[in-house]
Amino acid sequence: MSASPPAPAPARHPRSARSELRRLAPLLLLALGVGAVLVGRDMGLGELTAPGPGLWPTIVAGLLIATSVVLLFLDPAEDYEPWTAGTARIVAGLAGLALFIVLFQTIGFVVSAFLLLFAWLRFLGGESWRMALVLAVAGAIVLHLVFVVVLGVPFPAGPVDQLLGG
Amino acid sequence: MGISDGIVQGFAVALDPVNLLYVFAGVLIGTVIGVLPGLGPTATIALLLPLTYTIEPATAVILLAGIYYGSMYGGTITSVLLRLPGEAASVVTTFDGYQMARQGRAGPALGIAAIGSFVGGILSVLGLMLLAPPLADLAVSFGPPEYVALTALGILLVTYLGSGSPLKSLSMAALGLLLATVGQDPITGTTRFTFGSVALFDGLDFVAVAMGLFGVGEILHSLERTDKVQAVTRRIRHIWPTRQDLRDSSGAIARGSVLGFVIGVLPGGGGVISSLASYALEKRRAKDPSRFGRGAIEGVAGPETANNASSTSAFIPLLTLGIPANVVLALIFGALLIQGVTPGPQLISEEPEIFWGVIASMVVGNVMLLVLNIPLVGVFVQLLRVRAGVLAAFALLVTMAGVFSVNNDSFDMWVVLVFGVIGWLMKKTGFEPGPLVLAFVLGSIMERAFRQSMLLSGGSLDVFVTRPLSGGLLAVMAAVVVLSLVMARRRRAAFRHVEPEGEADLGTAPTPGRDTRRTSDSVDTDVPSAPGER
Repeated sequence: MSASPPAPAPARHPRSARSELRRLAPLLLLALGVGAVLVGRDMGLGELTAPGPGLWPTIVAGLLIATSVVLLFLDPAEDYEPWTAGTARIVAGLAGLALFIVLFQTIGFVVSAFLLLFAWLRFLGGESWRMALVLAVAGAIVLHLVFVVVLGVPFPAGPVDQLLGG
Repeated sequence: MGISDGIVQGFAVALDPVNLLYVFAGVLIGTVIGVLPGLGPTATIALLLPLTYTIEPATAVILLAGIYYGSMYGGTITSVLLRLPGEAASVVTTFDGYQMARQGRAGPALGIAAIGSFVGGILSVLGLMLLAPPLADLAVSFGPPEYVALTALGILLVTYLGSGSPLKSLSMAALGLLLATVGQDPITGTTRFTFGSVALFDGLDFVAVAMGLFGVGEILHSLERTDKVQAVTRRIRHIWPTRQDLRDSSGAIARGSVLGFVIGVLPGGGGVISSLASYALEKRRAKDPSRFGRGAIEGVAGPETANNASSTSAFIPLLTLGIPANVVLALIFGALLIQGVTPGPQLISEEPEIFWGVIASMVVGNVMLLVLNIPLVGVFVQLLRVRAGVLAAFALLVTMAGVFSVNNDSFDMWVVLVFGVIGWLMKKTGFEPGPLVLAFVLGSIMERAFRQSMLLSGGSLDVFVTRPLSGGLLAVMAAVVVLSLVMARRRRAAFRHVEPEGEADLGTAPTPGRDTRRTSDSVDTDVPSAPGER
């Protein structure tokens, strides 16, 4: 993936600096477009009569460059949503998801699914301890049964997964 | 094969027990996610894409189509009862539907919406049956230059008619076209933008991109809001509208059907624009426009009819030209491509069971929805008790497990996560993921057609202008660009016209849904855009 997302701005940022920060998005697109043109030129543009592999990417990258340059100067600011305290929750949620993928690869589905559901329901969803526990256990087992037993998806095997069959 | 043979074959496919089950599952899931505010049809279809791998192509499209038009029904329920549109196309219904509910007429509002949706859906299916075969015949004569013009027109219209700033949408479309070039060159086989990574030789996986941008991105985005939804406890009575109600709304339903059908066929059309247009039309035609915004039944009947009609007719460009008209159809297009079926003019003759089966399933699905909705509204309302946090946790887990099951490869899980972050950041910065995904799907078609055109014409760009069909399409594009500059001003005026008196406080209402908020934004500001498909 060549497109890296613009870094999330810190929640508390001076107003004036923040209005400049939003230019990050068009700048990033511009950089992406320029990069694509450079790579595309190396691939060989060919002629219009015999288009090379790089011609089409260069054309669409040109469109990307043109639009992002205009956006740099003419960007309606209204549709930017402010960063809120909720942003921190999302970063936490993302970290949880990443951890889930790592765990999934090493100890299988059931345990990692239980941990993800439980942590998410308790800390991000604000459920009670008991509710989170019940839903997480039930959810992990039901999804294991659906994916592994019914659909036959070969999840990486883990300690609990084998007890449940599949 | 004649149309009547096709219809017979279609019903044979649609009434097959397995397909009946999938139609039912589709419309039920559609209704449910239409009710649930956190999850729209785009996200749901994206999340369910991996499931469609294992079933027949016709069955897959039957399921996904059912989710799409089912969500149109479901979105009405929360709009009327809570002024909380479950999906974007139902925003207009909040204007009069919620007022009707406050006057104790929630039952008739929901009833007339269901009946109108049914009529609009059925009429639109009839139109689809009559219009699609001749259009496909015409499209058989299309050469590469026509396809370049057609895909360009589709992308352009989606950027202009979608939500958000057209310029930002165009920029996202360009990004989508660029992302589509990752992987092997379709003609020479040279690898492009793979940076030596073998995983990228086949290009970015459409399912992972769509699931990340729409599924995960949307769930993350909704996680930031902590809207509380109160449950509806009072019983809803008298769902079946009175004779007077039916008489009042029959005109609106008839006009809404035609309007919705026509708008749905246009690229970039679909739910939101058709319901807005119908509302504006009804208000303009009314003898006493001041009733609108205060519980006028026409203000519910017309838009609800139109959005369902348009969600059906939006299948016409996909099934006849192979061009998805909006983002939901782009996802269905992707689902078909994965199955090895390329939608296009040959679909009717080569895969008649898909074409006619899907159409016939829409008739069956609309009947099911009518039967489901009238007696079961009370049950669906209880779904609002499901809390957003619970929904998000389970949806994400299903996404991750689902994307793994596509290639049995955990690398795809990371791709989904990365595109989820990108999708969320795009939403935060006002870039719509819709044009990106649409352009991503159309990109390879467009590039191949462009290069074939160049070979055909010996490198002369004149070929796009001199051929009557592609020249005509390009003239339409030019007209769109010119018109949009004029319309930018007039659209704003039109929104003012649509805006009922009570709408000004929508944005500050205690429980504003995301789409409510977005609409009032576009009413208040200078952004020349309509709220669009999600």
